[in-house]
Amino acid sequence: MAENMNPDKTAAHDRIETVDLQVEMARSYLDYAMSVIVGRALPDIRDGLKPVHRRVLYAMYDAGYRPDKGYYKSSRIVGDVMGNYHPHGDTAIYDAVVRLAQFWSLRYPLIDGNGNFGSPGNDPAAAMRYTEAKLAPLAMEMMRDIDEDTVERHSRWR
Amino acid sequence: MSENSYNASNITVLEGLDAVRKRPGMYIGSTGERGLHHLVYEVVDNSVDEALAGYCSEINITLCPDGSLKCVDNGRGIPVDIHPVEKKPALEVVLTVLHAGGKFGDGGYSVSGGLHGVGISVVNALSTDLAVEVKRDGFHWYQEYKLGVPQKPVRKGEATSDHGTTVTFWPSAEIFETIDFSFEVLSTRFREMAFLNKGLILTLTDERPGHVDEKGAPIHVRYHYEGGIIDFVKHLNQTKGETHKSIISFNTEDKKQKISLEVAMQWNTGFTDSVYTFANTIHTHEGGTHEEGFRTALTSVVNKFGEEWGFIRKKEDRLTGEDIREGLTAIVSIKIAEPQFEGQTKTKLGNTEAKSFTQKAMNDQLTEWFEKNPGEGKDIVRKSIDAAAARVAARKARDLSRNRKGLLEGRGMPGKLADCQWTEPEKCELYIVEGDSAGGSTKGGRDSRYQAVLPIRGKILNVEKARIDRVLQNNEVQALITALGTGIHDDFDVAKLRYHKIILMADADVDGQHIRTLLLTLLFRFMRPLIESGFVYLAQPPLYKLKWGGKEPVQYAFSDRERDGFIQIGLDAGKRLPKDDGIQRFKGLGEMPAKELWDTTMDPAHRVLIQVTLEDAAAADDLFSVLMGEDVE
Repeated sequence: MAENMNPDKTAAHDRIETVDLQVEMARSYLDYAMSVIVGRALPDIRDGLKPVHRRVLYAMYDAGYRPDKGYYKSSRIVGDVMGNYHPHGDTAIYDAVVRLAQFWSLRYPLIDGNGNFGSPGNDPAAAMRYTEAKLAPLAMEMMRDIDEDTVERHSRWR
Repeated sequence: MSENSYNASNITVLEGLDAVRKRPGMYIGSTGERGLHHLVYEVVDNSVDEALAGYCSEINITLCPDGSLKCVDNGRGIPVDIHPVEKKPALEVVLTVLHAGGKFGDGGYSVSGGLHGVGISVVNALSTDLAVEVKRDGFHWYQEYKLGVPQKPVRKGEATSDHGTTVTFWPSAEIFETIDFSFEVLSTRFREMAFLNKGLILTLTDERPGHVDEKGAPIHVRYHYEGGIIDFVKHLNQTKGETHKSIISFNTEDKKQKISLEVAMQWNTGFTDSVYTFANTIHTHEGGTHEEGFRTALTSVVNKFGEEWGFIRKKEDRLTGEDIREGLTAIVSIKIAEPQFEGQTKTKLGNTEAKSFTQKAMNDQLTEWFEKNPGEGKDIVRKSIDAAAARVAARKARDLSRNRKGLLEGRGMPGKLADCQWTEPEKCELYIVEGDSAGGSTKGGRDSRYQAVLPIRGKILNVEKARIDRVLQNNEVQALITALGTGIHDDFDVAKLRYHKIILMADADVDGQHIRTLLLTLLFRFMRPLIESGFVYLAQPPLYKLKWGGKEPVQYAFSDRERDGFIQIGLDAGKRLPKDDGIQRFKGLGEMPAKELWDTTMDPAHRVLIQVTLEDAAAADDLFSVLMGEDVE
């Protein structure tokens, strides 16, 4: 049925395997859906964070952007997260950072931001090259004892 | 007896019987089978009028072996006292004088059907013989006729405390083309009448020789529906799935205007509009004012709730009457004191007050129902919206297929397509890649003689959820369709396919898989033969790269398992795997330099392609609707 329709003259040694459309659709979609459910869109019940937020906080902690230090440029934060933990677009990560710093979005903001982080009336924040941020003291509480191996960690490719 | 009296003084007179015999068609509709059965309805309608007035509870009709039809009711019986004007017993007047009946003027009947009161005298005129027996005022009363001419005056019979009328008639074979009554036709009509007259018992027995059932007994049916038209709707929706559980029903009347209305309706999962309207139990096939009122109110109520519940957001999305009536089974039965039927066949109601009455009643009652049953109401709104969407999509598709030249053809290849040099489709391949990041590597690494590359920016539109007009306006979709060259849907022509290998190359991550599903949806819905003929492939870029120490060649693994396998073999063979960067996981195609991409994924000598096959189109169809469609549950 399929193979004879398609004599490939340029490469007799093309390795061709077959997969049924339904199988492929089901598998791909399931993988995607599970991934979105587990590792993207739904906050974890234990800490209320989505993976992107968790990675932002951890990256900031790890890189030392802590309350007792000064503010750090947002683009550095985004770069750290993107390079080490979160292989997705910079805009998405920056938006997550911004939201964590807004007092009207979070009851207790986890990031202390310096600069234009938007307004309750839907104004966007300034670009990441202008704003600065560091962890809020409350966020440090989330990180307490993290060095004591209290939290399970996975390789980033999970 | 007070205002319920029905005797000679209620009878009015209009015309003579010869005219009927001369032009039977004018009075009974036709002289064919239809006209013949109309005779039956005329006789039975009189009994039904008694039932409407509340005096008759059972009507028994028998098809007798000698070809006659007998109709027995237990109403008050046709009056036998002397008519003040005609100086004859009212019974004789009713049976011999045209347009004589209790249906004009006041008293008698407040609501009735019948052929403008021509009624039973017409039957009499067209029957070789007719015998009537009335039980009333304490006695039996008899009279016989031949072709409408009374043989003897009305005579009194034995005493009885019963009441009712029995009419037996033999239709004239000279006038009618056939005098063979059809049991099926009659039983269908009687069943309908039983639905429309809640609680009335109608029986039909066929005593003709040869018309017997399996046991050899005469065929007999009995119709009795306490639920009236609600049972009717249940009966009609029997074979179909329900869109919502309960049957919406109500009845209301206005004694002053002498109108009463009964409505029962329920949506099923089908697509036909089954709204049947009746006026005084006559099936108004051509509709009329009551149907208009019903429709107007229905459309406005459903739209109102559609907007209130947020299903309909823009004015242009408002549902049309047709959308709402799709799959609707409804019975609208109005009873009105002085019905005006339009048209020869009397199947269109003309009374203007019927429209406003029906509309108001429907508005009030249906609104109340929707408020009390929002769950079911939403199911109904959703069904209508589906119907609307289908209608819009169909229309847009038709429009677009006419305008297709402007949109897809005659435009040259999309700018983003990096085409190949050769032109024979059998030799050429099209790589569809995710984003410009991958696009760059692919364009750099390919063999430009026979490999073309088309980058798709971002996630492509989910064609399952978007309507066709929006889909065809999307740039990425247009680019893809143009590049392939075959056209879509009905215009699809596999001979115009420009590449015999369509290779989907998305990143190895979950978003890549999502893009893969989106692209497959697009191909499946718009250019299914491509998949069926095996032209669609999935590229397999490697997942891991193992950089062994020393001068050992690099190995590529396509899955975790393969990676582990290679590591095991390599380590066993004494090869060294550096700690940093020994195992590289590819996050995207953009991570691979062009040459590497060629070597691993695009070079026919080394690559692995997965061909997509389609085993079961119907099941696939289902799967796409489930996964990519609206109702993602």
